[in-house]
Amino acid sequence: MPTLSLQTGNLLAADLSGFTPLMAMALAILFTLSWLIQTAEFAQIFRMLPRNAASKPMATGLHMATNLHQPLDWWDWSLQRADIPNPTWRRWADALYSPTGLRWQLWLRAGSGLALPWLVYLSFNCGLPSATALFLTVGLLLALQLLMLIRWRGAFNGGSDFMTLMVLLGLFIAAGVNLLSAPNRHPDLGWRAGFAFIALQAISSYFLSGSVKLLRPEWRNGRALTLFLNEAVRGPLPPGHWLRQAGLARLGSWAFILWECAFPLALLHAEWALLFCLVAAVFHFLVFWFFGLNRFFWAWLATFPAIIWCAAAHWN
Amino acid sequence: MVAAYGALLLLTLVFKGPILKGPWLFLLRSFFPNWKFFHAVGRVPHLYVRGFVGVKAAGKAAGKAPSEGWTDWQLVYPRRARGQGDLFHNAETNLLLAQQNLVDHFWADLVDLPDGADARQLVSFAMVDRLALNSTLAFWPEATQRQFELRMVLSDPKDTLGNNPADSETMLTTPVLPCQR
Repeated sequence: MPTLSLQTGNLLAADLSGFTPLMAMALAILFTLSWLIQTAEFAQIFRMLPRNAASKPMATGLHMATNLHQPLDWWDWSLQRADIPNPTWRRWADALYSPTGLRWQLWLRAGSGLALPWLVYLSFNCGLPSATALFLTVGLLLALQLLMLIRWRGAFNGGSDFMTLMVLLGLFIAAGVNLLSAPNRHPDLGWRAGFAFIALQAISSYFLSGSVKLLRPEWRNGRALTLFLNEAVRGPLPPGHWLRQAGLARLGSWAFILWECAFPLALLHAEWALLFCLVAAVFHFLVFWFFGLNRFFWAWLATFPAIIWCAAAHWN
Repeated sequence: MVAAYGALLLLTLVFKGPILKGPWLFLLRSFFPNWKFFHAVGRVPHLYVRGFVGVKAAGKAAGKAPSEGWTDWQLVYPRRARGQGDLFHNAETNLLLAQQNLVDHFWADLVDLPDGADARQLVSFAMVDRLALNSTLAFWPEATQRQFELRMVLSDPKDTLGNNPADSETMLTTPVLPCQR
């Protein structure tokens, strides 16, 4: 049974023979969960688009107006297709984003997402054929994600789309390096590169997000926290909410700014990484609770195995 | 190595490179995440709509003397109560957030528009126009004409969410448009 306290020399020399498959599987399962949640949401939303709108309308949730039902025709592809600069690409996009094209994309997303954990498992045991299958599947996932992002003018849900793409790029690096590096002899070499890329992106996201807030006076005095919570989709805060009190809002702001800025320290010890990731899970749950951002929770959760793996490899 | 990585991150906070722009770069911007969430407080774009419902109806709806048959300006802003299971399936909230992102992109496109250029050529204008039309008809199904406005509204501590005219700046007001899909 691998432990988190691996006292090894460096990233490449570390003996992580049991730990790497464990973390690779954890990452694949968490990513698949995140991916399927996103896919199910897209499936519901695409049913509301004009050409399919007869099936079921959706409440818009417009401020001050409730129980409204209407088709989502501002997301109609006939408007968005002008975003595609090249006429040839536009014709391809017309086919890809037709109702049939979108239906195919959603089925492919679901199928390839479900296959991912199995292929990751097989890639550690079955050599070249499974390594090839994993590489092709991750390539397909990457292509499907890019198609979906273009359909939403570059991003549907901002940061969660960015992180989903970063995890996919990490998986692509892992699968690609494994394929090129004779998988029978070095089954986990690619995962080292993939984990490092994903951990770098995840830790950067916390550190940069915290640092830019540290530089802003309205975050240091806690005012920004209350303002953003009031403007959130779940807002405004109730009149007596504790975050309306200046002192407590300042305390809350400083607590998570310092935690975000300190996140690179998670790389120093596996136990620290575990603790940082546990706090991060609570943090993302609070972001979901107040801002309604459920996709952020799952997208970042999928990066935690990579952070823990890098810390366990004593990457210093 | 960790220290060198930390130093590199700090450098990215201090030094800012040129902003590259282009249609494909916009569509593929997820490859270049900046990870700066909720960092700046200031004026944010808000979409307002109003409809022409006739003198009698406008007076009745507003509870006061009508302004030549036009309703008051109404904010189109995403608000939604928490639902059970939202952590696992939250399509409606995410769609509302995408709707506000669309308004943000429309503002960014207007800022980038050269002097004298027609905003109606923008894809984001066409999409926001459609959103505004749907919102107008949702608020006032009997409306025959409409207008929409994009205002930059200062986040204020009184939770008025843009209803304080002194703290807002109008970026764009459309001419009177028909209420036809």
